Amino acid sequence: MASKSTRTTFSNFQASFLALTAVRLWISLTDLSITLKHDHQLSSPLTSFSQLQEGIYLFKHDIDPYSGGSFRHSPILLSFFATILPNSRKLASVLWTLIDAAGAWSLVQIWRSRQNVISSPWDILIASLYLLNPYIFLPSLALSTSSFENTLMLLSIMLASQGRASASLLALSLLLHLSLSSIVMLLPILLLLINDPHSHLASPKPMANSLRKMVPLFGEFTVYTGILTILSTIVAGSWAWIPQTWGATLTLPDLTPNTGLWWYFFTEMFDHFRPFFLMVFSVHLLIYVVPTCIKFQHDPLYATFIMLGILGTFKPYTTLSDPGLFLSMIAIFPETYPYLRHPIVTALLHLHSALLMPLFHHLWLTQGTGNANFFYATTLVFACSNGAALVDSIWAGLRIAIGPPVDNYTVVQE
Amino acid sequence: MDSSGNLIPRWRRVLLRLRESVLTSGDVNEKRIRRRKRLVDIITRRLTLVKTALFISGYLWFLLIPSPHLGRGTYIDENALQPGQVNTDWNWGDVHVADNYLARLEQIRDGNFTSEQRAQWLSEEFGKLGIASSTQRYSFSTSTAVCTEDSVSSTFSRVDPTFQHLNGSNAYAVLASPRHSGTEAMVISASWVSRIGEEDGTLNMRGVSTILALAGFLKRYSYWGKDIIFVVSDGYLEGMQAWLGAYHGVSQSGLSREPLKLTSGVIWTALNIDYPGHSFSHLGVFFEGLNGRMPNQDLINSFDRIARYTAGVPVTLYEHLDPREEPAANKSPSWLPQALYNISEVKSYLYQAKNVVRHMKYQANGRGSGVHGLFHQFRIDAITLFALPATGPHGFHAIGRTIESTLRTMNNLLERLHASFFFYIMTGPQRFLKIGFYLPSAILISMGMMFHGLSAWVDAGWVQENIDYEASEPKKPTTYSQKQTWKRRRRPVISVLCIMIATHLLGIILFSLVSSTLFMENYKVLSPIVFTAFASVPLLALQISPISNPDIAPIFLVLKVLNLCFASTVISIITLLNFSLAASLTVLVGMPLVFSSPSVSLHWRLMKFAGCVNLGLGWLLFCQGEMVQAVWNWEVLTVWFAPFICIVYLPLLLQASVTCLLPP
Repeated sequence: MASKSTRTTFSNFQASFLALTAVRLWISLTDLSITLKHDHQLSSPLTSFSQLQEGIYLFKHDIDPYSGGSFRHSPILLSFFATILPNSRKLASVLWTLIDAAGAWSLVQIWRSRQNVISSPWDILIASLYLLNPYIFLPSLALSTSSFENTLMLLSIMLASQGRASASLLALSLLLHLSLSSIVMLLPILLLLINDPHSHLASPKPMANSLRKMVPLFGEFTVYTGILTILSTIVAGSWAWIPQTWGATLTLPDLTPNTGLWWYFFTEMFDHFRPFFLMVFSVHLLIYVVPTCIKFQHDPLYATFIMLGILGTFKPYTTLSDPGLFLSMIAIFPETYPYLRHPIVTALLHLHSALLMPLFHHLWLTQGTGNANFFYATTLVFACSNGAALVDSIWAGLRIAIGPPVDNYTVVQE
Repeated sequence: MDSSGNLIPRWRRVLLRLRESVLTSGDVNEKRIRRRKRLVDIITRRLTLVKTALFISGYLWFLLIPSPHLGRGTYIDENALQPGQVNTDWNWGDVHVADNYLARLEQIRDGNFTSEQRAQWLSEEFGKLGIASSTQRYSFSTSTAVCTEDSVSSTFSRVDPTFQHLNGSNAYAVLASPRHSGTEAMVISASWVSRIGEEDGTLNMRGVSTILALAGFLKRYSYWGKDIIFVVSDGYLEGMQAWLGAYHGVSQSGLSREPLKLTSGVIWTALNIDYPGHSFSHLGVFFEGLNGRMPNQDLINSFDRIARYTAGVPVTLYEHLDPREEPAANKSPSWLPQALYNISEVKSYLYQAKNVVRHMKYQANGRGSGVHGLFHQFRIDAITLFALPATGPHGFHAIGRTIESTLRTMNNLLERLHASFFFYIMTGPQRFLKIGFYLPSAILISMGMMFHGLSAWVDAGWVQENIDYEASEPKKPTTYSQKQTWKRRRRPVISVLCIMIATHLLGIILFSLVSSTLFMENYKVLSPIVFTAFASVPLLALQISPISNPDIAPIFLVLKVLNLCFASTVISIITLLNFSLAASLTVLVGMPLVFSSPSVSLHWRLMKFAGCVNLGLGWLLFCQGEMVQAVWNWEVLTVWFAPFICIVYLPLLLQASVTCLLPP
């Protein structure tokens, strides 16, 4: 009886999952993607589909796409789209939907390995929280390659949770090639690989496993990255791709507005301060890695989740799908919900910024009654709402260890 | 105690107390917690006061907007404009030319030309002046009007729901700039039907003659740095909509139009001339654009300076005469005693209030105040000059000089108008309010709603359990025992979100229904049916049985929270896009949402429900003309007022009505 009931919930999940994917596919095949394609909030210069098409065109006509200043995608994406996939929009929409479906499926798998169950009634809720999250849905409709990054990230976490080290590290090094900022995910993923993904938030203890185990894994990751780098160089024909793709993340040559915090800051910057602040902004991303991993050493999956939030808030060239991944991932940590301090405030902040961003973008660039400061102000509101979600998640993840609140006792942070 | 206290000098006691408060003795954290608790206590105990203060100050602020003490005089911000700094050359010879054109236009009107023949004639006249010219035919088919045959006269009656004559022809001409490559352009336009013609069919004959005469006149001069485009659009709004859409290459469903044979550069500014009468006494300025957009204030201010100082014509806002200057308008309203009206402050307040209310009417429904509004959708700053019909003293001479000089000013622009204000309320032709002086009104109310929602959220999270204590220990003060027994409870957010999504889906269904051809053709019959159908949907909430479990908050409370928070967000965000709409929302939605709550008696519950539903859906019964107009605006001009009402405004009130019906 028991096994039968599990099987029915399992197939129920599959049916609902397919239905959700079908709905997504139906919407993605409408003409929405044409109108959304050039939206600054949905795709950055590093992930834009039209720039990818331009690069493929140049590549096919024997012109080095990296010799100009417009193409900033990885050679891996270039070879993938130039050889395997025909360059058609409808097919691209199908592919993007499938990629998102793979991401949702990975998220469900992560949830299952965290709970250590084969299936649960919450699976479909988690899948729909990923597939129907507008922050993830809209960039995917706009054919932004950030959807690929999200899926690779989730695949890597899923494989790490299942203990499949090589596959996980391969996914991570592919991700590294698409987006250099994801290097900050290396340490939490390595920690996840040498630990189990189950929730230990309520009973924190120093990590039992020796860090030495990470050394061969790190070596493996380096080998994969090295091989992919050489392959990329062969595809691109020279080393010119490195400053154009990875270099762009560090030197910010394209100041097209996006939802992140970098573009406006560097628009306003005097040139002689630029290198210094570029260094500050890049190092700023790195300084979170070690403290987060030390604090959440008992639960590396939670550390990974927190790092995703930091990445979504502070990385250069963000699109909406970066914070979207963090927000959808909140779904797999239900044990922290009772300890969140201000969930409604965070939700309302997100509601405000989600409505304000397109509005001020429109006021500035379409209607012409606003200016760049308007949009920048809303990206600040958006950063605040992401920050509120992040801080509250960290609080709840640590607070849970102290146990449920007792009357006349208060927990404070020293 | 007293004597020992007196031994220490006063200054040392103060110092000691200061030191005690700065240097911490005892547990720092404990002190911090106590301090925080005290602060939270102060706020929560006065929360009702804070909320009431927010609401009252917000609504009072609305009343303050027309005050003569708020706001300041207008000024020119863009230095390049230099309004009124040129000698104008338009003289009585050109007035004669305009008179001749007028005579021939009257022949055309009396000869019952079709709009196509008329456009052809206009195009030929432009051609005779040596200016490249062409015509453009268009046809709109909407649910409010399906056009098949050519129209003969361009007047349409507003009472009739099916606006019939929606096909026509525009005539236009492009005067190439002698000094520049034609990358920028400015437009002078006149619609065939005047703005007062919307009701009675008055034609804008003198406006069109002015355009023709100006075309011949302006061509004689070599100082134009921008192309000048002359457009005589057919109908009132639709002709210009078709022309602008074609110019900017925007396709619109339901509109078939010829492409333009002649084009020019980017249009920065546009003047629309509306001169329906024989002569005029004032030039009125109309500026509100589609969907609440406003032109840069420099354009209005330059026109104002030029009309007053170059042509000597007084300027008004809309057609409102200033009672302080015009004896004709200096009459007290019937409800106000003359003595009170004679106080200059009251007089100014009433005059400015009239302007503000008119502005809000134009802006809130997104239709704008005339043909110039259509330009705004393509980021073109445009205004209409309305020659206020009167027996004198001004005519072609004054309007020609004004337009000539305004064009010279626009010709001076080196970049788009950007320096002056885009967010303002004009309280008079030379007075305005900056954004900081009017925005807080709506924001304060939206904050009040948000506070109310958040406090209800806290209420929903806790439940009192004090029965046992009181029964066993009746002598203890009840307040103490109650404090002890506050217990957390679960808030059913997901089911409430489902209710909210359902109401919005209902709104989408209603909108697609209302904008369908079937509904629009028989709206008088179908409106009451649709009203009854949609008003009865919330009655389903009566079927929900009350939750007996004390660990779960009642649905109505959580629904009220999310409803208030969402409404507050919508209002505060709309303020920047369309302040008048946000202000109307604070009045229509603010109080009903705050006071929506279930009552014990079914009678009272149904009364509250009826109130909310009538506010949300009443337009189906009581404002049918407005409804048809709004759907027409959506289909022809893409004004998003109609979908906004159906998909955002109505659901908010439906949620409130469900709140009233749910079991307490």
